Amino acid sequence: MPMEEKIGVYVCECGPNIADKVDIDKVVETISSLPSVNVVERHKLLCSEDGKKFLKESIQKNELTRIVVAACSPKQHEVTFMRVCESAGINPYFFQLTNIREQCAWIIDDKEEATERTIRYIRAAIRRVLYHKALEKKEIEANPDVLVIGGGIAGISASLLLASGDRKVYLIEKTKVVGGKVREFAKLFPRMEPCSDIISQKIKEVENNKNIEVHTDSEVSEVLGFLGNFVAKVNTSENKAIEQPSEQAIKEKGLENKELELKVGAVVVATGFSMLDLQQLPQYGYGKYDNVYTALEFEKMNAEGKILLKNGKPPKQIAIIHCVGREKVGYCSRVCCMYSLKFANYIKSKLPSVKVSHLYTDLTVPGKTYQKFYEQTKEKDVEFIRAQDIEITESNGQLTINHKGTPNLKPLNTDMVILSSAITPSSDAHKLAEMLNISQGDNGFFVEEHPKLAPVSTSMEGIFITGCAQGPKNISDSIVQAQAVAGKILSSIIPGKKLELEVKTSEISEALCIGCQTCLEVCSYGAIYFDEIKRVCIVNEVLCRGCGNCVGSCPSGAASSKHFTTTQLHQEVVEALR
Amino acid sequence: MKEKNGNVLIIGAGVAGMEASLLLANSDKKVYLVERTSYTGGNVIKFEKVFSNMECATCMLAPKQQELLANENIELLTLAEVIDVKGSAGDFTVKVRKKARYVDLQNCIGCSACFEPCPVSVKNEFEEGLSERKAIYVPCPGALPNVPAIDTENCVRFKGKDCQLCKEACMFEAIDFDQKDEELKLKVGAIIVATGFSTFDSKKTPHLGYGKLADVYTAFEFERMFASNGPTEGEIKLRNGETPKSAVIIHCVGREEKGYCSGVCCMYSLKFTHYLKEKLPEIKIAEFYSDLCIPGKSYQKFYEETKTMGPEIIRFNEIEVVNANGQLTVNYKPDTLNPKPQTLNTDMVILAPAIEPDGNANKLAEVIGIPQDEYGFFAEGHPEIDSVATQKEGIFIAGCVQGPKDIQDSVAQSEAAVGKILSSR
Ligand SMILES: Cc1cc2nc3c(=O)[nH]c(=O)nc-3n(C[C@H](O)[C@H](O)[C@H](O)COP(=O)(O)OP(=O)(O)OC[C@H]3O[C@@H](n4cnc5c(N)ncnc54)[C@H](O)[C@@H]3O)c2cc1C
Ligand SMILES: Cc1cc2nc3c(=O)[nH]c(=O)nc-3n(C[C@H](O)[C@H](O)[C@H](O)COP(=O)(O)OP(=O)(O)OC[C@H]3O[C@@H](n4cnc5c(N)ncnc54)[C@H](O)[C@@H]3O)c2cc1C
Ligand code: SF4
Ligand code: SF4
Ligand code: SF4
Ligand code: SF4
Ligand code: SF4
Repeated sequence: MPMEEKIGVYVCECGPNIADKVDIDKVVETISSLPSVNVVERHKLLCSEDGKKFLKESIQKNELTRIVVAACSPKQHEVTFMRVCESAGINPYFFQLTNIREQCAWIIDDKEEATERTIRYIRAAIRRVLYHKALEKKEIEANPDVLVIGGGIAGISASLLLASGDRKVYLIEKTKVVGGKVREFAKLFPRMEPCSDIISQKIKEVENNKNIEVHTDSEVSEVLGFLGNFVAKVNTSENKAIEQPSEQAIKEKGLENKELELKVGAVVVATGFSMLDLQQLPQYGYGKYDNVYTALEFEKMNAEGKILLKNGKPPKQIAIIHCVGREKVGYCSRVCCMYSLKFANYIKSKLPSVKVSHLYTDLTVPGKTYQKFYEQTKEKDVEFIRAQDIEITESNGQLTINHKGTPNLKPLNTDMVILSSAITPSSDAHKLAEMLNISQGDNGFFVEEHPKLAPVSTSMEGIFITGCAQGPKNISDSIVQAQAVAGKILSSIIPGKKLELEVKTSEISEALCIGCQTCLEVCSYGAIYFDEIKRVCIVNEVLCRGCGNCVGSCPSGAASSKHFTTTQLHQEVVEALR
Repeated sequence: MKEKNGNVLIIGAGVAGMEASLLLANSDKKVYLVERTSYTGGNVIKFEKVFSNMECATCMLAPKQQELLANENIELLTLAEVIDVKGSAGDFTVKVRKKARYVDLQNCIGCSACFEPCPVSVKNEFEEGLSERKAIYVPCPGALPNVPAIDTENCVRFKGKDCQLCKEACMFEAIDFDQKDEELKLKVGAIIVATGFSTFDSKKTPHLGYGKLADVYTAFEFERMFASNGPTEGEIKLRNGETPKSAVIIHCVGREEKGYCSGVCCMYSLKFTHYLKEKLPEIKIAEFYSDLCIPGKSYQKFYEETKTMGPEIIRFNEIEVVNANGQLTVNYKPDTLNPKPQTLNTDMVILAPAIEPDGNANKLAEVIGIPQDEYGFFAEGHPEIDSVATQKEGIFIAGCVQGPKDIQDSVAQSEAAVGKILSSR
């Protein structure tokens, strides 16, 4: 039993809500008779300004050390009363709220029974609060700098918003150049705006930004640490970073296979996408027949100027096949209908007399402007066939598409086929997921912290995902996500400001831990690590969110939650049942 | 140069506006959140569940709504509208008209004792008119802030009668008839417009029978019918009180009229099959669609899950809903090789109308001085590369005010707007 404490118990009437259903006089009388209690008071509405003032003054006047409030749900007013405790100069964790409204007054019709239950609850809370420990708010320093992995449109856009006088951004790109897939595109749907101006403008802004350090030909090999304090290793073999080299780039010029060590507070994964390997879908004849192209190949051919068959002749008929591999990957890639329509526009503007046929399943043209693009494309004498079970054959250089479709079941002869194939996770996704301890979904894309309310965060605090690394999407949405990452980072890691940590974390007793590492498996926040030397698991307080998973799973009772210790819960339950 | 004002005005407390407010408040910005209604949460709190994880929407939003009310950096102004904006980025002066609630936010504990005695009963617009409310009311149980408002258009006291029954019933002296409408002048450096959307008026597609045939419902009506805090407490029933044995869901209502695909109605229509099957496992369902628009990494999986629940999923070319001798009947032409007209009898029809700009969007655009696009949504700074900016520096848009989208994309846009604001310090 803990040492002598001065306990105060406050019973709220909540107007008629509790007072009508619970005999508060009797509650006060019974609780007052308990030996350990110093003060018992009732109040009409404890959460009101008047009530809070009363509570504060009473705590101070009586020099109380432990507080129990019997009122409504902790969801509603736990924080309110904790703040009052704090302002009265007592640790807010020396406080317990017991819910006698939702759990007594509102659900028990019989006044006597409700009163009896209320007394039980208060006794249990008194018992519990005696075993509470003072918990203190902790703060850590946070490095405001950011590591961005992947220099596509998403990575570039995030870097541009993040970099500023007091924040440095390291942009790590695997290939020789930044810009990503978008570099290959001549135009952008749906307004057929030339793409090169947009992307080269952005690249220039990156180059000119003194606070962005670009490393091309580079890959991140290790990331250790946690929110605010990551250390990353980068392997770089760049010899020419950018056209107008910054001082930093000059310094590294010519350095082959150097390893850099970077200290950052947050990591952004913007590694984009790959495309489904068409060898997996032999029915389309890719790789077998000459004039069957992938979408990216066609983008490139168009951007280079001429749309020609392998034999150098212009095609007379081109078929664009949507949803290639959709069934295989199990999702709709969201942009391929649109870029397929873009292809029809490329073709019609270069070769107006070519017959263009789309073979599609559903038209995915979501949002306010996309359907219009479809309608405009259709007006250019472009054929749309709803087709299923497509198979392509070739004889004498003539491609034939067999399919089941509407409104036309006939096999379609064509000179050229473009396969609009599924967008898949970047080929590096798995490696990165392991390195960063973030998860991938069934489909291989990185998983967001919450599918609705936290689309660019991950379960690892301080690690963010953006653009097509998070899921297939268009440029506009990729940029929005990049800006969203900036919003999350800029609003949480502020230069000169410390990070406030979760108080009600868990801890693992070194003495009791048997090193089985069960807890390590169940922690979704990567907050537990195994100390190889001591052979015990250790909780990183910075990452722990106090979910309690480890506590429940630990077979040796070594893991405990600081504000829900076994003793606290046991004492509370025993007293409630007594 | 004048110091830039760091305060931010956010208009609209739906998912987009709430997320932006919380992020900015956490970075120690003072936030004014102006909401037209008496509650937070926007359209999403009307839903019992959200696709595609079928999480309970109120449970999902409640922590955010509570944080919003508790955060000292956020000043939530409900029953309020922006009536004037002057100045430029870093230095806007905004006028807000805030209607009196007549109930004190501090004193009221949300016990609802004041509703019962109120003699006035009117249709509850939050419940799509499917139930009634009093002149002093909260839109639905669980609304936050959980404090009623008095609707002066219907309260008899404001029509000259001497009623004060609600005040007499309130044990907390929370009702204050002396409150006055206010006009506030706010100084802010940036503005985020997050005023969301309305849905297409289904009466404009008369061939689908809405408004004429009793058991043809709109999506919002059905959402409320299914909601456990709604007018039927979640019971799915026809106007005559009977339980439907069959239901038809029609996609793309108003798509042709609007000229765009709203991108979310296929998904919420599929959600409706989940709703129906959860409560009425035996019900026969047909979903009529034109394109299945289920974009992105996780939505097709939801469709496949839905399919296992056994609805007929029919692609149609033409469709109408009629009353054939007292029987609700759908006449349609399927989109197949040889489309022959077909008919299907059903007990209820649910329409999935398009998402369109909020009814007040034009007025607001004018007040703020930013352009709308040809559909009436607010126009972006650049549609491809700067979709949360507007043509006016310092003013941003987020969520469905920019165009139809789901919750995830609305939240991403609001975080993006915050990113833009904080990076331009
Ligand atoms: C054929 C086609 C046409 C399209 N047309 C359009 C269009 O007209 N309009 C539109 O809005 N959208 C279009 N899209 C979609 C558009 O391409 C994407 O939205 C956009 O490219 C996403 O950008 P991102 O930065 O996320 O990814 P990416 O463009 O894939 O960039 C990712 C970058 O990360 C780098 N990287 C990958 N792994 C690593 C690693 N481990 N370490 C370091 N760097 C790494 C890559 O080299 C690359 O530079 C089209 C897509 C396709 C396939
Ligand atoms: C039937 C239906 C079901 C849906 N189901 C889902 C689902 O399951 N999952 C999903 O992801 N998405 C779903 N959606 C889409 C989802 O509703 C939207 O993505 C989301 O509501 C957008 O949030 P918002 O904040 O932009 O707008 P809203 O939710 O519309 O919020 C806007 C807020 O602004 C306020 N406001 C408006 N004008 C003014 C003004 N002038 N001044 C002050 N305040 C103003 C409004 O009162 C409101 O509070 C569904 C849509 C419909 C129609
Ligand atoms: S966007 Fe179009 S082509 Fe791509 S998978 Fe979806 S439906 Fe198929
Ligand atoms: S309480 Fe939860 S977050 Fe913390 S260490 Fe245990 S499992 Fe991880
Ligand atoms: S004054 Fe009378 S009519 Fe008005 S809200 Fe109160 S009870 Fe209703
Ligand atoms: S105004 Fe009074 S009676 Fe009405 S809900 Fe609030 S506290 Fe209860
Ligand atoms: S999302 Fe589906 S229902 Fe909505 S307009 Fe597009 S195709 Fe029609």
